[in-house]
Amino acid sequence: MSSPAVSVESLVREFKGGIRAVDGLDLQVEEGEIYGFLGPNGAGKTTTVRILTTLLRPTSGSARVAGHDVVSEADKVRRSIGVALQEAAIDPLMTGRELLQMQGALHGLKRPAARERGTTLLERVGLVEAADRRVGGYSGGMRRRLDLALALVHRPDVLFLDEPTTGLDITSRTALWREVRALNDEGTTVFLTTQYLEEAEQLADRVGIIAGGGLVAEGTPADLKGRVGKPTVHVLVGSAEAAARARTALGRLGEVQAEDRAIPGLVALPAPDGNGSLAPVVRVLDEEHIEVESIEVKSPTLDDVFLAVTGSKLEGADGA
Amino acid sequence: MIAAWPLTLALWRRSLNEVTRVRGALLPATIAPLVFLLGMSGQFGSLTDLEGFPTDSYLSWIVPLSCLQGAGFAGAATGVNLARDIEQGWFDRMLVSPVPRGVLILGPILGAVSRAMVPVTVVLIVGLAIGAELTGGVLGVVSLYVASAGFCAVAALFGVFVAVTLRTQQAGPLMQQGVFLGVFLSTAYTPEVLLRGWLADVAHLNPATQILEFGRQATVEGIEPSFASTWPGLAALAGLGLALGSLAMFGLHRMNR
Amino acid sequence: MLDYALVGRVLVALSRRSVSTQFRRAQLVMPTFVLPLMLMAVITSGTGAARDLPGYPTVDSYLSFIIAGSIIQGALLAGLTTGIALASDIESGFFDRLLAAPVPRSTLVLGRLSGTVVLGVIQSAFFLAVAFVFGASYPGGPLAILATICLAALTAAGIGGLAAAIALRTGSLSLMQSIFPFVFVLLFTAPAFFPRELLTDTLRDVAVYNPLTYVVEGARGLLGGNRELGDPWLGLAAAVGLLIATTVLATAALQERLRRT
Repeated sequence: MSSPAVSVESLVREFKGGIRAVDGLDLQVEEGEIYGFLGPNGAGKTTTVRILTTLLRPTSGSARVAGHDVVSEADKVRRSIGVALQEAAIDPLMTGRELLQMQGALHGLKRPAARERGTTLLERVGLVEAADRRVGGYSGGMRRRLDLALALVHRPDVLFLDEPTTGLDITSRTALWREVRALNDEGTTVFLTTQYLEEAEQLADRVGIIAGGGLVAEGTPADLKGRVGKPTVHVLVGSAEAAARARTALGRLGEVQAEDRAIPGLVALPAPDGNGSLAPVVRVLDEEHIEVESIEVKSPTLDDVFLAVTGSKLEGADGA
Repeated sequence: MIAAWPLTLALWRRSLNEVTRVRGALLPATIAPLVFLLGMSGQFGSLTDLEGFPTDSYLSWIVPLSCLQGAGFAGAATGVNLARDIEQGWFDRMLVSPVPRGVLILGPILGAVSRAMVPVTVVLIVGLAIGAELTGGVLGVVSLYVASAGFCAVAALFGVFVAVTLRTQQAGPLMQQGVFLGVFLSTAYTPEVLLRGWLADVAHLNPATQILEFGRQATVEGIEPSFASTWPGLAALAGLGLALGSLAMFGLHRMNR
Repeated sequence: MLDYALVGRVLVALSRRSVSTQFRRAQLVMPTFVLPLMLMAVITSGTGAARDLPGYPTVDSYLSFIIAGSIIQGALLAGLTTGIALASDIESGFFDRLLAAPVPRSTLVLGRLSGTVVLGVIQSAFFLAVAFVFGASYPGGPLAILATICLAALTAAGIGGLAAAIALRTGSLSLMQSIFPFVFVLLFTAPAFFPRELLTDTLRDVAVYNPLTYVVEGARGLLGGNRELGDPWLGLAAAVGLLIATTVLATAALQERLRRT
């Protein structure tokens, strides 16, 4: 694959009533990347993924995955992709091992090969002991791991993960991240949609933020954060009077931000040296005998990026 | 080229899980046609006194109907299960795989036909045990099973078409009532000569009438096992299969629109 | 001290919910409104020649004879869907929300049964209207029609009580759905579509013990204006008796569930 792993041009998908879930989307994912696709509910993430995985046709525009057009070469796309969708789509009456064998059959593996591949994947995702139990009895974390294993049966070039860790506890989530990184190290391109900013920061080489059906920002997490702002020192003092005195005193170190009426005791100013900017601030406050409740250096987060480009917070910002 | 037959077998096996791995799953599907068999023969048994009825035994008249009813509901259940699979996302897994669309439904349809053999057999055995007459011998029984299996497959195709078009479990009753209407808007209760009003015309045109007559070779003394009694039923099954199969495939291909 | 106004408001609210959700779910609308009419159409046309049988009672039209059975079939299905909806509430956890409300426990079942009564009224009125359009006649007159509707509504609630009792004991939606064929056992062991005299011997003997026999015949007697077709008072006694018995069963099942959970 010398062309991009995923290439989308002016993609539009319209539903009944004229609703444009995807509205002129352009993006490219390079081979071997982990691409994080962020956006609030209703932004068009799932619709985009469904188009890229041939489950939905675009209204207009084009999309190519693994070098094949999703409409005219849908079959070739299906051979090249692995998919773990939002709801872990598994049959509760089957065992994990049976599901893997069926998935193998769906991709043309003969029974012995499917069985062997299934065993390898069960070991990889840590489900060997539960392999012969019905999936209906699996926990949420186990279902997600099985879903991932199912997506890998045929060694896809591109892996689509649609909110893979939603609803999982932190241990299961971390385990899944480890697995995704390992897959990427082996060369698999990963297209990851997520509501969790921490997930995007942890995993993604690049992040695309979708809102209202279009891409509103794209770049590495560091680039995106840098566009929004620089680190600041946040000082919290006991009263509005003390804050006024601190504001005057700290004015010689840098441009102090305007008073925040919601938090009268807060004083904020730039921290050009990062944590190194703390010492001079502490010295000044000490000289003025201003008692401090707390002091810290705050850097922009992806949540700040999100807020800046979409005007709203992402749901998982605090929950990750 | 994805090997179609191993996958079809895998999906066939999966569809049988619905009854082999769910306790008592076959009971409602078997009890319903039995209830209709016993109930209708008890309610309308006197109809055989009417001139023009080809048999003295209303039970013998009703047994093939109940077999077809049981087989038809097993077929409709395939559609209901598919609608559930679509709603719950399982069918997406099938759709993103590089498998010819027709293969995806062939396995479940074979599963439905396998499952249908249970209520058909139970109804036949119970019917014979309580007095129905096996007038058609072995050939007649074979005809009944072929008619039932064929009707089940046709009902399954109808269920698939509705499922892939409406994509909701709420369409379940539509599938079941569709099969119900299909089998009852025919010579279900009385032979064509005794039908009155609009039903006489509808039954005349309804392919299910031919399929029912095909199955009645087993137990109705006025309908002898013969090519003349067989070919209309087979033609009806083939025609319905072709029409509903085309609709189902059309619906499947449109699923990503 | 029971606050009757509160109880009344709760009953109305639960009853309203019960009726409105019925019409929002195709799985519930089709069996209660469409299936009985389909069966009525098929039976009327399919077995209409039965009027030529010796011993068949004299009626204005075959449809006029059949309609009583269809009304009672509708009532049975309305009652069953009550149980299905209750089981669905239990499985989904919505019933727990109701239990957490400060209302008398009995209103949770009575509210649903009140909804069943309303449903029974709407349904039987609808069937009578449709049958009238297709040629049925009701020599018994408007009062008889009203009385038939009341009889149907009481029967629906009676069956609803039984279905509610099963739903409360098992809490299983799939079990409630699989009870569907047994509803037809109750129907077929009554002279729902054929006169009692022309049923097979076994069925005739069983029909004596089925309360629905008297309800169907009572409705037939009312609509036909002819007590030879059936005694309406016997029908009323059977419907009321069924309702009392099944309400007791449902109340006991509710108490048992509350003790268990």
